[in-house]
Amino acid sequence: MYKTIINIALKNAYLRKSRAILLILMISLSMGVMLSIEGLYDGLAANMIDKSKRSDSGEISIYAKEYRENKDMKFNIKNTQDIITELKSIDGVSSVVSRFSIQGLSQSATKSYPSSLVGVDFEDEEVFGKFSEFVEVGDLNLGKRGCAIGKELAKNLKLHLGSKVIFTARDAHGDIQSIMFRIKAIINSTNITIDNQTIFTNKSRVLSYAGVAQNTSTQIAIRTASNSCITIIKDKFQNYDAKDFKELNPMLKQMQDMMKIFNKVTFFIVMFVVFIGILGVMYVSILDRVREFGIMLALGYKYTYIRTQVIFEALFLGLGGFVFGSILGFILLYILKHHGLDLSKFADGMASFGMANILYANIKLIYFTSSFFAIIFASILSVFLPLKKIKNLNPTEVIKADS
Amino acid sequence: MNGSHNSMLKNSLEVYTGAMAIYQKDYRDEGGYDYLIYDNAKIFTILEKENGVKEFTSRVETYGIASTDDESSAMMLTGIDFKKESKISKLKTALKSGIYDSSGACLYMGESLAKKLSLKLQDEVSFVGTAIDYSFVADIFKLCGTFKTGMYEFDSSSAFLNRAYFDELFYAQNTSSYIAVSVNELKQSDLIAKNISKKLPQDTKVYTWQELMKAMVELMKVDSIFGYISMGLFFLVIFFVIMIYGFINVSSRIKEFGTLKSIGISDRDIDTLLFYEIIILTLSAVIIAMPSSAYLAYYFELHPFVIEGISEIYKDYGIISDEIPTSFDLFTIAWNTLVIVVLNILSIIYPIYYVRRFTPIEAMRHV
Amino acid sequence: MIKLQNIQKYFYKGEPREVHALNDISLTIKKGEFLALTGSSGCGKTTLLNAIGVLDSIDSGEIYLGNKEISQLTKDEKTDIRLNDIGFVFQAYNLVPVLNVRENISFIMKLQGTAQEIIDARVIEVANILEIQDKLDSLPSLLSGGQQQRVAVARAVASRPKIILADEPTANLDSKNSKALMDMMRELNRVEDVTIVFASHDEFVVNSVDRVIKLDDGKLL
Repeated sequence: MYKTIINIALKNAYLRKSRAILLILMISLSMGVMLSIEGLYDGLAANMIDKSKRSDSGEISIYAKEYRENKDMKFNIKNTQDIITELKSIDGVSSVVSRFSIQGLSQSATKSYPSSLVGVDFEDEEVFGKFSEFVEVGDLNLGKRGCAIGKELAKNLKLHLGSKVIFTARDAHGDIQSIMFRIKAIINSTNITIDNQTIFTNKSRVLSYAGVAQNTSTQIAIRTASNSCITIIKDKFQNYDAKDFKELNPMLKQMQDMMKIFNKVTFFIVMFVVFIGILGVMYVSILDRVREFGIMLALGYKYTYIRTQVIFEALFLGLGGFVFGSILGFILLYILKHHGLDLSKFADGMASFGMANILYANIKLIYFTSSFFAIIFASILSVFLPLKKIKNLNPTEVIKADS
Repeated sequence: MNGSHNSMLKNSLEVYTGAMAIYQKDYRDEGGYDYLIYDNAKIFTILEKENGVKEFTSRVETYGIASTDDESSAMMLTGIDFKKESKISKLKTALKSGIYDSSGACLYMGESLAKKLSLKLQDEVSFVGTAIDYSFVADIFKLCGTFKTGMYEFDSSSAFLNRAYFDELFYAQNTSSYIAVSVNELKQSDLIAKNISKKLPQDTKVYTWQELMKAMVELMKVDSIFGYISMGLFFLVIFFVIMIYGFINVSSRIKEFGTLKSIGISDRDIDTLLFYEIIILTLSAVIIAMPSSAYLAYYFELHPFVIEGISEIYKDYGIISDEIPTSFDLFTIAWNTLVIVVLNILSIIYPIYYVRRFTPIEAMRHV
Repeated sequence: MIKLQNIQKYFYKGEPREVHALNDISLTIKKGEFLALTGSSGCGKTTLLNAIGVLDSIDSGEIYLGNKEISQLTKDEKTDIRLNDIGFVFQAYNLVPVLNVRENISFIMKLQGTAQEIIDARVIEVANILEIQDKLDSLPSLLSGGQQQRVAVARAVASRPKIILADEPTANLDSKNSKALMDMMRELNRVEDVTIVFASHDEFVVNSVDRVIKLDDGKLL
């Protein structure tokens, strides 16, 4: 039975092939572009979040209480090594780094700029977030007096690789101290705080400069793939200020949420229009065939068969659009994933917002599955209004009409 | 899109930057005291005579370390003329506590910076920096007022000192890092900049807001690109829907066209008929849609969307209001309408081509 | 075979324009009969035919197909009766336009779930009788009126219904095609022993059948 119904449905779709092709073209083009936008926005947000986690917060960071409000090194963690050992013993923790940060003033020969001096262990940072990938120029063999400097900070201070930079701040004893570095690496992390105002050097040097004990830090950042791990750490370190990525970066979280909302709105608008398209085609297609359905009803074809047939017809159209839309969307996403969208013409603007110059798209199965279900839903929904016209059709009213 | 861009720009320009600024040629590239403007008066005279210039004021910026007994922080100290500044920027309206127009060793400081230094009004703060002649400068100031512009970085690193005291302390008489200029009409700023440039000394350069806020302007362009891509998607989908409905309309009337053709109506006449039909439908839609959408845009310009807390989240990016502004712009409404009209007209091309393929007999037999 | 008892049918019942379409019709049709309902236009012959074919409801009375009363069945049960027991031939042919001749003829058998090889053989058989064997792959829109009506007859008989109801089958045909059609219907009646009921005011049809039932203003004469 279904074979006969599908056969008739296919023949009907074929008989009206021009409108079927137009509809399939509409669904596939709009779906292709929509998936590209979705993937690009997702990729953009994911990239920003990934770099922010790798360069700074990890999935969760531990600070001394009050540090984040005051950014003052006197609110520090004293038993860093013990905490790191304890953290590493927790299942699911993949890596841990400690950092020591001082707020002060960076100066070149001609310019000054407020900034932070951050002491890190570069080997640990490499494991933590592949720090070397952020190096735009130079390398991380800093030697005795070397430093790595944020790209925008270097630009603001008119400094280049090999230039000297002086950092001035107040040490733990309340004395104003200056320290001179030679720039060995310029960092482009697309993390605004780092690129705009951070100088990195070896942690032990920063600790000596600040006049605090070697086992001290202002931040301990943790990488983990497990959410339960984050909860465990928060519970375990209640005497400290343990905050997860979302709490530390509400702006990025908000941005990701805004992009998700935008993607959803776009998705619903496109799917609504797809629905209107299928509805129009199916409505007219059914009204065109009222007589045909009347004949079929007279011959013994049940209303349920007609409903099934019409749903099949709508599904052929919707799924045709989905298949071609998926192919087009995948091709566009593949290109955007591997070649990216180059916006380096707007590098300054992108950097000011913490975005990379080249945006790479994400490809997720959910893009395709959500489109699939939405199109199926739109297809099925689109036939119910026109089917109402057929449901109460009396065959005797139509079969006498002229052919 | 236009609304929020205009708002971001307007906010940022009005808060502090100004429509344009006059610098010594190499200051923005090289920086430092070697590239200051050393004759303010001469430039002031030129600006006074320039039509279109609303206000102008000079600023001298220097960086140093500000310290209290327990805290210290890097600080951008700027010498300004408080009276003139109040006409060109929103520094005065950003007053949070104390007084704005102070004299002597009185600081007008960003609220976040004051908090960072644990300063209360009338507390003292020491400053260590460098004078214009590169001599060492150290002084003790009193906190007389605080401000909050909403631009976090600015509020957490800036303090202002009156020019008379600043000039004496830093040897900055008749000198400036740059001269900020506001204009009557922002759109005219390029033209005004061009006129001023001709009259200014050779070693100075006028930067308009597009150059001063390059990052923000670029960001807006990127945002616009994304906006246009999304709009393109909507237009694409709308185009297809119109075309599908146009096609359905035509294909269900093939028999009618067959009859018309058989009694001697030409293909060209049928094309014209379909063209008139789409024009009538389009104009009907435009007559309904244009005033209603214009009213919506106008309504939202007067009553913007408010998303509580958005300024807090985006304060670093020049968004200093919870309102999502909408711009009522006749040009935008006109070009959007035009695009829809063009799409409508384009949408009838395929249906016309489709009808033309049928001979009268084929058309009359069409199922 | 078919028994109608006191059939009443109104159109626009209760309205000023009420029409009493069938007025107390009682009638028996035996198996294998070849008969025609006739009368002037609007006399109720098509309404009666539709009532027999359970295409249209009646206001009162009973219709028996064999021993089964069929006028009060549900919509789906009536559909099953039409599918399995009755074949229809309409004035306007009423072929399914997207299906070719072969598919139109086999349409009902497919709905009945008949095996494909049986369908194929039967299609050839009736196509030969009705002389449309060379048109099997054509779409209805490419056939002449006479050819389309023969396909309609083929569709009606192919599934071996107990009864064929033919409403003005010759109305759109010329005299030559009308004669050919009636000859074929007679042949089918004879060979397949199928009951055939015409509703027609065509003299040629009336003269060709074994029994004529006349109606006037909804009443049997």
